[in-house]
Amino acid sequence: MGSFEVSGLWKTYPPGDPVLSDVSFRYDRPGAIGYLGPNGAGKTTTLKLLVGLLRPTRGHAYLNGIDPMADRKGALWDVGAQIETPEPYPTLNVHEALDAVGRARGLSRDDVDREVDRCHELLDLPPLGHRIGWLSKGQRQRVALAATLVGDPSVLLLDEPTSGLDPAERVLVRGLLNRLKRDHLILMSSHQMLEVTEVCDELIFLNHGRVVLRDKVDRVAHRIRPRQVDVEFERPVPPTASPTLLAAAEAVTPVTDRRWRVTFDGSDETRVRLLGLCQKVAPVVQFANTSLVLEEAYLELVPKASEAT
Amino acid sequence: MNPASTVSGALPVERVRISDFQQWIIVTVHQLQHYLRTNRFYGLVGFVVLIAALTLAFEIDAGVAAVRLQQLYRSSEYLSNYLVNTGLFVVLAAAFFGGDALSVDFSTGAGYYMLVLPIRRPVLLAGRYAAAALVTLAVIGVYYAFGAVGAIYFFGASAVPWALLFGSLGVAIIFALSALSVAFCVSAFVRSPTAGVLITVLALYVGFTTLQATLELAGIEPWFSLSYAGGAMAALLDTDFVHFQTVPLGEDQYYTIWSATVAEGLAIMAGYIAVFLPLSVYLYQRKESTG
Repeated sequence: MGSFEVSGLWKTYPPGDPVLSDVSFRYDRPGAIGYLGPNGAGKTTTLKLLVGLLRPTRGHAYLNGIDPMADRKGALWDVGAQIETPEPYPTLNVHEALDAVGRARGLSRDDVDREVDRCHELLDLPPLGHRIGWLSKGQRQRVALAATLVGDPSVLLLDEPTSGLDPAERVLVRGLLNRLKRDHLILMSSHQMLEVTEVCDELIFLNHGRVVLRDKVDRVAHRIRPRQVDVEFERPVPPTASPTLLAAAEAVTPVTDRRWRVTFDGSDETRVRLLGLCQKVAPVVQFANTSLVLEEAYLELVPKASEAT
Repeated sequence: MNPASTVSGALPVERVRISDFQQWIIVTVHQLQHYLRTNRFYGLVGFVVLIAALTLAFEIDAGVAAVRLQQLYRSSEYLSNYLVNTGLFVVLAAAFFGGDALSVDFSTGAGYYMLVLPIRRPVLLAGRYAAAALVTLAVIGVYYAFGAVGAIYFFGASAVPWALLFGSLGVAIIFALSALSVAFCVSAFVRSPTAGVLITVLALYVGFTTLQATLELAGIEPWFSLSYAGGAMAALLDTDFVHFQTVPLGEDQYYTIWSATVAEGLAIMAGYIAVFLPLSVYLYQRKESTG
């Protein structure tokens, strides 16, 4: 099984402040690790240091126990990495773009063809004869993701793998990652807390280049109580009906004539009460937590993490 | 091989730790597939065909007798004069295919596709270098082919000095390798692909040519100029070759025109390859993807 490790990792772009400060973690078992942080936190920098696209100012990065700065070929041999926005040459077709990757990873021609077919099925890739330059952004991104999977490397490093994808594509990729994590080690950076909690087993929170929290997803999720729900009614409801919910809610904001956003204390008891109150207003077709974006998670997590340290 | 990869639908695949040489071939083919479909390749081949065809058309229009007289009844003289322009095409090809060969990794997403593969950077560079050399050879091959057609038309196939012509093509290939070495070095140094192409053209064509002319005015042999070395391509076929000739400009003033001998030209080209190719490998290996 593959592994990745960063040990006392620092990165500074002179003359600025460190982008990464003393970041350390190690994983060597199958599973998905979420790597979270706001823009500029140092997530992509960490991934680039792991694959040797950047040179550490201090500390070390290892892939499968090998420092990519010392032995790039050895370190990356069993690793698939999607960092930033990889772009195969636009003049090549999908098969040619993936063929080069598979062959470089040591696959025979037959195995490359089998792997390309497998990725085509897994990721619903565009026709293999289509040129990269003709593809949509989402299609190109799926081809880039397929490139990480060709040859079935045991370690996957994914930098916001679903950004730029449409909702259907996101569901597809999340489903795939959920399957892959059973026998692969995945490090996945993201802005979307909810998405990471759906896929990952463990989270690393990064802020200003430092790890501020590292924990199991279920324990972190417990600490972030979603305090907003989106309620969708079967039929339009007048805003004048909203005070009905205020017996349990802190605020009610009509989003459309059929959808309200309700803020409450986050407890399960209140949630159940709110659902009952909503059903008194009109039949409810959807009652779901508002997507928790990273910034909100931060407001919840970072002070607690600081208190913990 | 990942033996337990059934949940992701992967059948066990055997991955063999292939050699750098095998990866070099893979990179060369990959890069060649790209180059051969670019507009710049078609554009450059079109430009070469246009110039060569126009030259041939004007000569045919002038008539066989006139061309023979002008070329001293020697097909080698005809070819030598025709090949004087080869340097321009080599420089353009080197700039087009080498000027952004490495900078593309640090200014577009291409680097995030290729640099995360288990391939050493010198192998990547060597594959791209080989592909650029092959494409450049294709471009100059077209120009040489037109030259050969002209020589056969005006002097007959039996009069064409084939050995010298292929020898000249060999010199042109070495010249292309030296120009590509400079282009790759520029490409490893700058971040913008467009800047890489422009700097290469300006340095190899405008810069060296101007410097060469200036030095010749001062009576100094421009032995360090790559464009000067490129003269060896035509010199090989020049039956009346002279290394230098002094032309009077006025009273007590002379202008010395220097022409590189084949040996001298090859030595200069080898020097450029020996300096700039390792330098581009060093720069490429050190370069970080900071964008």
